[in-house]
Amino acid sequence: MSFRSREFFAFALLVSLCACKREQRIFDPGSAASQPAGATPLTEVGAGTSPPPGNRPNAIAESAYAVGEGKRLYQAYNCVGCHANGGGAIGPALMDSEWIYGSSLEQIHSTIVQGRPNGMPSFAGKIPDYQVWEIAAYVRSMSGQLPSDVAPSRSDHMPMVVPEQSRPKEHPGAEHPQPVITEPQR
Amino acid sequence: MNLRATALLFFSSHQSPLNPAGIQARHIEHNLVLIFGITSAVYLIVIAVLFFGVLRNHAREGFVPHTLVEDPDVDRKATYIVGGAIGATVVLLFVMMISSFITSHRTAVLANAQSLKIDVYGHQWWWEVEYPMDEQPFRMVRTANEIHVPVGSVVTIHATSRDVIHSFWAPNIHGKKDLIPGYENDLTLEVDQPGTWRGQCAEFCGLQHAHMAFDIVAQSRADFDRWYVQQLSAAPEPTTPQTIHGRDVFLNHPCMMCHTIRGTTAGSTVGPDLTHVASRSMIAAGTLKNTPGNMAGWILNAQSIKPGVRMPPNPMPGQDLNDLLAYLETLR
Amino acid sequence: MTLSFRIRCATYLTGVCLLSCGCHTKPSPVQNLAAGQVRPIAQINDSDDGEWHRATKDFANRRYSQLDQINSNNVSRLRVAFTFSTGVAHGQEAAPIVANKTMYLATPWPNILYALDLTKPGAPIKWKYEPHPSPSSKGEACCDSVTRGAVFDNGKIIFSTLDGYTIALDAESGKELWKTRLADFTKGETITMAPMVVHDHVYIGNSGGEFGVRGWLASLDAKDGKLLWKAYSTGPDSEVRIGPRFKPFYANDKGSDLGVKTWPPDAWKTGGGTVWGFLSYDPTLNLIYYGTANPGPWNYVQRPGDNKWTAGMFARDADTGEAVWFYQMSPHDLYDWDGVNEDVLVDLPLNGTTRKVLLRPDRNGYLYTIDRASGQVLSANPYAFINTTSGVDLKTGALQHIPDKAPRVGQVVRNICPVAPGAKDWQPSSFSPQTGLLYIPHQNMCMDEELMAANYIPGTPYIGASVQYYSGPGGHMGELTAWDPIAGKPAWVIKDKYPIWSGTVSTAGGLVFFGTMDGWFKAADAKTGTILWQFKTDSGVIGQPITYRGPDGKQYIAVLSGIGGWPGSIVAAKLDTRDGTAGNGWGKALPNIRNEVTAGGTLYVFSLP
Repeated sequence: MSFRSREFFAFALLVSLCACKREQRIFDPGSAASQPAGATPLTEVGAGTSPPPGNRPNAIAESAYAVGEGKRLYQAYNCVGCHANGGGAIGPALMDSEWIYGSSLEQIHSTIVQGRPNGMPSFAGKIPDYQVWEIAAYVRSMSGQLPSDVAPSRSDHMPMVVPEQSRPKEHPGAEHPQPVITEPQR
Repeated sequence: MNLRATALLFFSSHQSPLNPAGIQARHIEHNLVLIFGITSAVYLIVIAVLFFGVLRNHAREGFVPHTLVEDPDVDRKATYIVGGAIGATVVLLFVMMISSFITSHRTAVLANAQSLKIDVYGHQWWWEVEYPMDEQPFRMVRTANEIHVPVGSVVTIHATSRDVIHSFWAPNIHGKKDLIPGYENDLTLEVDQPGTWRGQCAEFCGLQHAHMAFDIVAQSRADFDRWYVQQLSAAPEPTTPQTIHGRDVFLNHPCMMCHTIRGTTAGSTVGPDLTHVASRSMIAAGTLKNTPGNMAGWILNAQSIKPGVRMPPNPMPGQDLNDLLAYLETLR
Repeated sequence: MTLSFRIRCATYLTGVCLLSCGCHTKPSPVQNLAAGQVRPIAQINDSDDGEWHRATKDFANRRYSQLDQINSNNVSRLRVAFTFSTGVAHGQEAAPIVANKTMYLATPWPNILYALDLTKPGAPIKWKYEPHPSPSSKGEACCDSVTRGAVFDNGKIIFSTLDGYTIALDAESGKELWKTRLADFTKGETITMAPMVVHDHVYIGNSGGEFGVRGWLASLDAKDGKLLWKAYSTGPDSEVRIGPRFKPFYANDKGSDLGVKTWPPDAWKTGGGTVWGFLSYDPTLNLIYYGTANPGPWNYVQRPGDNKWTAGMFARDADTGEAVWFYQMSPHDLYDWDGVNEDVLVDLPLNGTTRKVLLRPDRNGYLYTIDRASGQVLSANPYAFINTTSGVDLKTGALQHIPDKAPRVGQVVRNICPVAPGAKDWQPSSFSPQTGLLYIPHQNMCMDEELMAANYIPGTPYIGASVQYYSGPGGHMGELTAWDPIAGKPAWVIKDKYPIWSGTVSTAGGLVFFGTMDGWFKAADAKTGTILWQFKTDSGVIGQPITYRGPDGKQYIAVLSGIGGWPGSIVAAKLDTRDGTAGNGWGKALPNIRNEVTAGGTLYVFSLP
């Protein structure tokens, strides 16, 4: 084996290890039951200067395994009863581009933990924190916000919904602010 | 199957096909002994003949190996020997086949038509057990990982899976039966010796396949009935301040999102029904003895005991944990 | 009973016989009371007073008006007299209430009650009452935050809020007289039904069969709002108010504590059987009739047994609430077939004798004719397409299921007809004594269903099923069937592309009014089903049309337009129909309705020029 081919082989091995990261699991997330999120603002407007950053997402939140777990928990914790498989029912649709209380991972986390006044129950203390992040990540996958190698694939069940991994990416306004033009163009 | 389970299979009398506790396991054992005997004998004979041939010819001085020379005597002799060996093989194979047929017939048919029906659902990685009582639904009992049966009664295990394929195997009592999602399989069995017999999932079903065991508790009819009536009752109201607080801890923590305790507002079916958890001898699907210490470890960080299990870690202050354990202890 | 009344009855019955023989007799101009042989108590009028005091119009639940100023000859000239925006763009399922020259409108959450002064041009607001119900209660209402209206009784207007209060107001001034909290919405209990008042008893039931609540019907004292009794739909006999007077007709319903014994241990505590339909009252027997909703959860595997007393109907003593008889239309309900549909009380000539019966177009697709004294089922004929059951055994009263169509856990069973909302949901039918026909607005739909484990977590849905609906044979989803109860078959059928989710009203002018989800409000000829007039409203019509005589002596037709309710939540709650299970199954059925209709909430009142 020449030096070059050995080098190439080692490189290929490294690349394949990188690919495994999407399946990475952490068996000891060691997190406490979820508490109301601290300072996640729900608005783009803040008094004074720009709003402070919210609580930090869990590092594992957007691995394929975590999002898959999020999909399982979305069923197990009755989210499906109100939001159906993304289309909404008692609660609003989650696969469209309308986000009443924000579309970022942190904002969805806050919504699950705090509840919202128009009918969303609070799950504070009821769902372990790392699972809230997993559910929040899955909720984002419903509107195509996650890369397709992370979002879940087709369900072996009835709902005739496009699999989360091939959904068109919806664009909630707040996610893509256009730069503000201050000087008139000459 | 991992090493520990293999070791258990041969050295533990509570999980071994060589220590039958039911009429079907006895038939299976007979068949096993017969086939093992025949194949052992054949093996020994073949090895003996081989050695004999090798040693005899080497011992002789000036031996010249047979060549393909036309020798009608040698040819005839060889034909008889090979023909005889083939004949014996066919006969023995037929003996084993017929014996297997008879065994499967005997294990499949239990004369007694009246049977106790038990629904068993496989989950990753635990067993849900239900006594449906079709005519009297209010006498339905639901438990987990521990199947109580009356000794000497015919029991039909009605098995299916809620996620992936599992297999139900209590070697002291019967053979294996697969649990397949969307399909239902029946397994009729009878235990004729009181005792606790261990069973195991026998189809690889994911990370914690090895820790997916169950107990079959065979009791006298009177003991079984006593157990049954006790399982029917809802959880008792906690009476001491400690157990009252323990219940509040249960209802205000993630516990209530997955478990049922009848008599409280916890009614979820993701994890095992805990209404009578203290009456069970093992927790975590046969992984741990049901002691307060093990329970505490399981609640605080099940992932360190059974990595990948669906039970999340539940860190909580020592006082809360103590009270919760005291409350769970009352769920007899 | 007066002699003239008997004669009128006889005239009517002969008339019905002749009509059913195919003879075309001119309807008598004097209208008759075929049913609900009303005894003279204050709120009931033997002759039509031209008002509309309760959603059902009369105690017999006929929704029939004797006003005939608007009739089949002049209805084509009907035009809008005035409109009024309720300001709430959600499902308007309420019936406007008209009493003492005032119209009362109850809106969906936030449950505002408006009183409109009919004496002034354009009917301006006389007063309004805002109860400020909790916004969180909207998350506990399965099928849009609707209300089915208020009731007028003895100078009071009584209605309920979604978050569980029943409120009585002074009808003249709008002053609050009493306010009673009956339901705890934090556990999933809400109130959507229209109250009914008999003998100063205000009957109110709860909603929330999809949240693992326990159903009940309560009786409040109309004078002060005190709870008189509460009759549960599950549990021990004492709480169901079953006592020595309870004499069900069928053996299945006999026995002690069946509300406990037909459930797995403790499952009755979260077993549903809510009461949110319309009540009927028979003054001669002094019985009220109402149905109980589906058992919870939908996943029937988790609740073996007959699940009494859900998906059935009770006859109770109107004063004491004691159960007198019970009949279970859908024992061990497999498909979410609530039994809440209305019971229309009529006296029918059957086999040569006149029987006091009730007509019940049930959610399971059968039109039951039931003896209203004994609870015996006299006939049960399908009025919609059914492939899940093969009929009703009249000897045992049992519904005959077809096992292949039973939903299964972890497997999709396809083409189940009728659907979870049933062959007919809440939308009330009307009965015209003039034609002898029952006008049933209903669905023609089928579904796919898959069951899964249901988890009871208080305050969250307790369903355990995934469903999606689509149109039944013929490709249309809605039907208005004019049912001939004597012949036991339809006289005519109007088809509509969307489910007909509005109620109907029939009048002595030979007309039937109804609305469609794509916004049309229509008048059909009661005898032939020909559409004689239609008007496009601003939103879908799912309300209960009424008719009344205004202070000026003219006849008016009123209806609330505003899409919502279970199917209409696709529009009202902006659901995404790319998911077929959106709105609990309506996503697949109504993929384009958001492009056709927008949400609204407007009262339309029509009259002749």
